[in-house]
Amino acid sequence: MDGDRLTRPLTPEPGRKSGDESGPSTPDVRRPEGGNELLRRMKKVDPDQAKKYRQRSGQ
Amino acid sequence: MRPILAGLDTEYGLMIDGRGPHDQVEDAADFVRALPDATYDRWDGRHENPRADLRGFSLSRLATDPIDALFDAGRSPRPGEDVRADRVTHRGARFYNDHGHPEFATPERFTLAGLAEEDAQGDAVLRRAAAAFESRTGWRTRVYKNNTDFHGASYGSHENYGVPRSIGFERLFAAVTPMLVARAVLGGAGKVGAETGRACTYQLSQRADFLVEPANAETLYRRPVFNTRDEPHADPSQWIRLHVISGDANRNPRSTMRKVGLVKLVLALAEIDEAPTFRITDPVAAFQAISRDETFRFEVALEGRSWTTAYDIFESYFAAAEARLELDCEMVALIESCRSLLTAVRAGRWSELVPYVDWAAKRHLLEMFLEEEGADWRDPRLPALDLEYHNLDPEESLYDAMVEMGLIAPFSAGPEREDLPLSRGEVRGIAVERFGPNLEAVSWRRLVWRGGRETELRPEVLYPCTLRMASDVESFASLVENSTDGRR
Repeated sequence: MDGDRLTRPLTPEPGRKSGDESGPSTPDVRRPEGGNELLRRMKKVDPDQAKKYRQRSGQ
Repeated sequence: MRPILAGLDTEYGLMIDGRGPHDQVEDAADFVRALPDATYDRWDGRHENPRADLRGFSLSRLATDPIDALFDAGRSPRPGEDVRADRVTHRGARFYNDHGHPEFATPERFTLAGLAEEDAQGDAVLRRAAAAFESRTGWRTRVYKNNTDFHGASYGSHENYGVPRSIGFERLFAAVTPMLVARAVLGGAGKVGAETGRACTYQLSQRADFLVEPANAETLYRRPVFNTRDEPHADPSQWIRLHVISGDANRNPRSTMRKVGLVKLVLALAEIDEAPTFRITDPVAAFQAISRDETFRFEVALEGRSWTTAYDIFESYFAAAEARLELDCEMVALIESCRSLLTAVRAGRWSELVPYVDWAAKRHLLEMFLEEEGADWRDPRLPALDLEYHNLDPEESLYDAMVEMGLIAPFSAGPEREDLPLSRGEVRGIAVERFGPNLEAVSWRRLVWRGGRETELRPEVLYPCTLRMASDVESFASLVENSTDGRR
């Protein structure tokens, strides 16, 4: 056992121009044509990836 | 305002199939050694002392995470190994193993765009090292530019600023702390859940959970909002190096520029003793409350049973800067864009921040996923998606997918110009590339030549671009040593 740190459980959801910045604008998220690469990539992520990810403390 | 030299030190997370934190020190050293780039490899660490404190004393030892000691139980270093594996790139960056993390410390630059470019060069160095390491070992290797492992371990993305020692600790602490407390609103990388304290679903800062004191010199454990390490990397009678450890590693270079620019504004005001005054009751609690405030009110308790908001803190600095400083175009644009972003988030239109701020980009993709899946914030897959936002592999990274989809514009610092004055970081890069065989060692502060000559690299000097054309060591070293201001 290598000393698991406690990770707090999630709770139910609560109620809820610099450089090349030209000011905020709402992004166009959905791209019907050709599907959504972002969603496709998210669905490919190993759901246990963060559970497996262990690091030493750095600075 | 005076040009302020700044650098970024990023510790990256490694995930290597079949390996774990027990192996991490050896793996990080081998990872650094795997970088196929031509580099200079003799770093001079003689003058580094991480235990000195700005408040005038020195710690006998630095605190360490007790869990890391368990990883080392029964293990000993490989015989004769230089575990740091220091390398200096031809741009003047330091790349080495720090506490089991490959760390890329950029060459110091004066401009925000220049520093963001060096930071992006660091990401590229990590990708090349990962490909070479994977090819050499056969182990699938992923690199993450984030600050937490979701199990209670954090690692840093530090900022370094050259600050005149004459400011003094008290004035510096009073000026900088309110900005550090508020800054995650505009620069946080976002995190699913909490690793200490009150539970939450999503917060703005990756580092907030790991801060426990307003000010101290620790970095590995019991971390502070304001780090008091006094390791100037310059003439200690003239300079301190403000070492900011409470910020997040950013994937979006616009966030990188913004977080550094905001601190520079404060430092310029502190130099003329014109920084706004906010006496925050508990900087740690305020930092963590802002990070977790899903109402976006961002209230901050002040001494005397008063209160303010992060919005007012930002605006006070902006107004003071406009009134008291001669701002360059980068700083004018910084203030303008920050105001625009703050107006949007204050009105609840946080999705307008998606192209510019990492926490908003990450929250946006998580909400998109939840909607698609018909799930909610208790979904156990969310930490994995959070992590993959920070993956440096463009084929897997969710940040890079957002760029690919046009949700975040590709970043360019513009073409590199060779006719501009140079920072000492750039001078270091030229020295190791052109005259590496003539160097005994290099450090942040000095070039040590074979034969014993030492050339000081000063943080305030804008070195002449003609250094690029120096034909021999003597003319190069003399030009560096006699430079005062490359703009003249």
